[in-house]
Amino acid sequence: MSNAIGIIFANSGSDNLQGLAQERPIAAVPFGGRYRILDFALSSMVNSGIRTIGLVTPHQYRPLLDHLGAGKDWFLERKDGGLFILPGVMHSLAGSKDTFCIKDLQNNLEYLQKDYVENVLISSGDQIFNINFRDTLEFHKDKHADVTLIYKAVNPSDDDSQDQILLEVDGDQKVSKIHNKHSLEREELAPLNFVNIIIIRRELLLDIIEKYGSYGCIGLMEILASNIEVLRILGSPTNSSIGTIHTINDYFDRSMDLLDFKVRDQLWLGVDRTHTKIVDNPPTKYTAQAKVSNSLIASGCSIAGEVTNSIVFRGVILEQGCRIQNSIILPKCHIHSNAQTNYTILDKSVIVHGENVLKGSESHPLVVLKKTVI
Amino acid sequence: MLLAGGQGSRLGGLTRNRAKPAVSFCGKYRIIDFTLSNCTNSNINTVGVLIQYKPFLLNSYIGLGSAWDLDNPFGGVHILPPFLGETEGSWYNGTANAVYQNYEFIDYYDPEYVIILSGDHVYKMDYSLMLKFHKEKNAEITLAAIQVPREEASRFGILTIDSEDRVTKFTEKPANPESDLVSMGVYIFNGPTLKQALITDKADYLSQNDFGKNIIPNQLSTGKRVFAYKFQGYWRDVGTIESYYQANMESLKDGHFLNIFDPKFRIFSNEDIFPPHFVGSAAEIENSLICNGCTVHGKVSNSILGAGVYVGEGVEIKDSIILPYVKLHKGSSVYRTIIGENAEVMGNCSIGARGEFAPAYEGITVIEDYHLITEGTVIESGKHVYRSRAM
Repeated sequence: MSNAIGIIFANSGSDNLQGLAQERPIAAVPFGGRYRILDFALSSMVNSGIRTIGLVTPHQYRPLLDHLGAGKDWFLERKDGGLFILPGVMHSLAGSKDTFCIKDLQNNLEYLQKDYVENVLISSGDQIFNINFRDTLEFHKDKHADVTLIYKAVNPSDDDSQDQILLEVDGDQKVSKIHNKHSLEREELAPLNFVNIIIIRRELLLDIIEKYGSYGCIGLMEILASNIEVLRILGSPTNSSIGTIHTINDYFDRSMDLLDFKVRDQLWLGVDRTHTKIVDNPPTKYTAQAKVSNSLIASGCSIAGEVTNSIVFRGVILEQGCRIQNSIILPKCHIHSNAQTNYTILDKSVIVHGENVLKGSESHPLVVLKKTVI
Repeated sequence: MLLAGGQGSRLGGLTRNRAKPAVSFCGKYRIIDFTLSNCTNSNINTVGVLIQYKPFLLNSYIGLGSAWDLDNPFGGVHILPPFLGETEGSWYNGTANAVYQNYEFIDYYDPEYVIILSGDHVYKMDYSLMLKFHKEKNAEITLAAIQVPREEASRFGILTIDSEDRVTKFTEKPANPESDLVSMGVYIFNGPTLKQALITDKADYLSQNDFGKNIIPNQLSTGKRVFAYKFQGYWRDVGTIESYYQANMESLKDGHFLNIFDPKFRIFSNEDIFPPHFVGSAAEIENSLICNGCTVHGKVSNSILGAGVYVGEGVEIKDSIILPYVKLHKGSSVYRTIIGENAEVMGNCSIGARGEFAPAYEGITVIEDYHLITEGTVIESGKHVYRSRAM
């Protein structure tokens, strides 16, 4: 039995996903052929032995609950523990920069109070990763930490995200500073990116909520940063984090990263599987005219066209003569003969009739909204 | 009552390690998925699965039946192995004997009708329509029947019917069939009729305790109201390597009867969770079915790849069925072959090779589950390759 329960903040929205997150939180955006972004955080927790997971939901939670159901496909339909829905507060919907809003937790205090485990593992629901937390939970316990922050060492020049939190960690793995990236000058950048996953003692978290609950919307990370002298905050490294999805470029680039064997190996080909809603699609059918190269194709598709450097989700129909290049085709799209897409993201159930040509560019992929008919 | 205990010895290497109903079909399914999904789609909520031969993989696959939505508060799926009683107990000796030995199970639920199913057929059928027919005809026994080409008919139980669809004659596997209407191995019995028939059959020492060979002919001879429900649709017996291969290959055809893509009559399966399959830059895939979790770098044509199959660079697969988790390494070629689950073919092998002299009959090559084929091996077409049994 794990000595931790989990909380996933699945309520972050974004205005920078060009409509992919218009009607759904980032956590519910489809990713990687058959998953939703939330699956990665959820599966990592489940694979780490955590069997009680609370999900902070946003205002528009229908797509999330449609996907999750009672949590059966993540082994969370249980007598002891299981999946808990924690309704978040309204105003933390879109564009909020507070990491782990205390108000959201205060609204769901009972979830934290009624359990008796030692620790709470908190993760954001807008990241792609596959981390087994068993070692980190062990580390947190052995070192008698109040809080353990998980970070990834990156080369600052490779990383153009804006709302990142950076850490400074000393030789004893103790976190000495917590920075907001946008408050730092370029040359000051520390190379350790906080990956929005923390382990915190449950009692401590309850104390914090009690003390700061009346402050309006304040983030847990902000509170930790200002109490860094009194708390024993440790850092623990990971290299299994692929990235955060906040903008359409994040989405496009992280998706295309999946065509790289090294990334797939880290994310999917290890012992820990990424779980998702199972819909029992038949295998994908290739006709004699199909031409596919360097692409990820989910099940239940019917492929008669040409696909290059693309990601095709479940149940997509690609008719003869169509050309899909550098594109991401979400579930149940139907592309008729001789239509073409390049650097395009088609949201669910888009229909593209014959001879149409949709073209974006690498830095500005074209996004077509759900159920559009072209 | 789902009969799933048969060995399926005619499937050779495919059933060396598992019962026939647990053999993979069409990439992502196992044969029993079709019958279990039919039950779900026909609103049957209590299913007893009779098992005997190599049950472990089948049992763990079926579990509580939740993958087919068969876990419910009224009944659910029950695995029924042979067992010992206070004074006696034995292996299941024939299909009828298996049901007879589990009559306590049937009595527990005390159903009005019992439907006897077989776990080794591939088809989609709504049994509730057959039950409706059974009630309308006021029948005591109804057999599902289908027309097959006459040359194949001698493999099955042949039905002769009158103008009201009442069965007048039943002959199991005759040399010269007198009709092309054959029994599908799906029977509906009225509860009391079944019980009486099984008790009579048990008392007969000469009986082979088989539904087709004994029960049905005996019931006919005692003048029971036995009717044939004519089923229109796709139905395949996949009991032999040839028929298994054909049925798989048929699923590659367009407008296929089985229509696994139909959302209204879904075939459920207890699948392992895998990421989407990856198609490499040098890969060429045509007219094939590819499952999740595959990695394809080579050429695949007219073939079916099960879940998690790895196809290395320069590999050529043609007219073959590659069952789940098989690994095929660089430069190997595979032709008209069924490769069993978890088998691994090292580099530069040639499987199903057409020898210098073309064989008179171009057979289907079969590689047993978990077999490891070492680098450079040539296996001629039509061979059945088994693992050595030295442990």
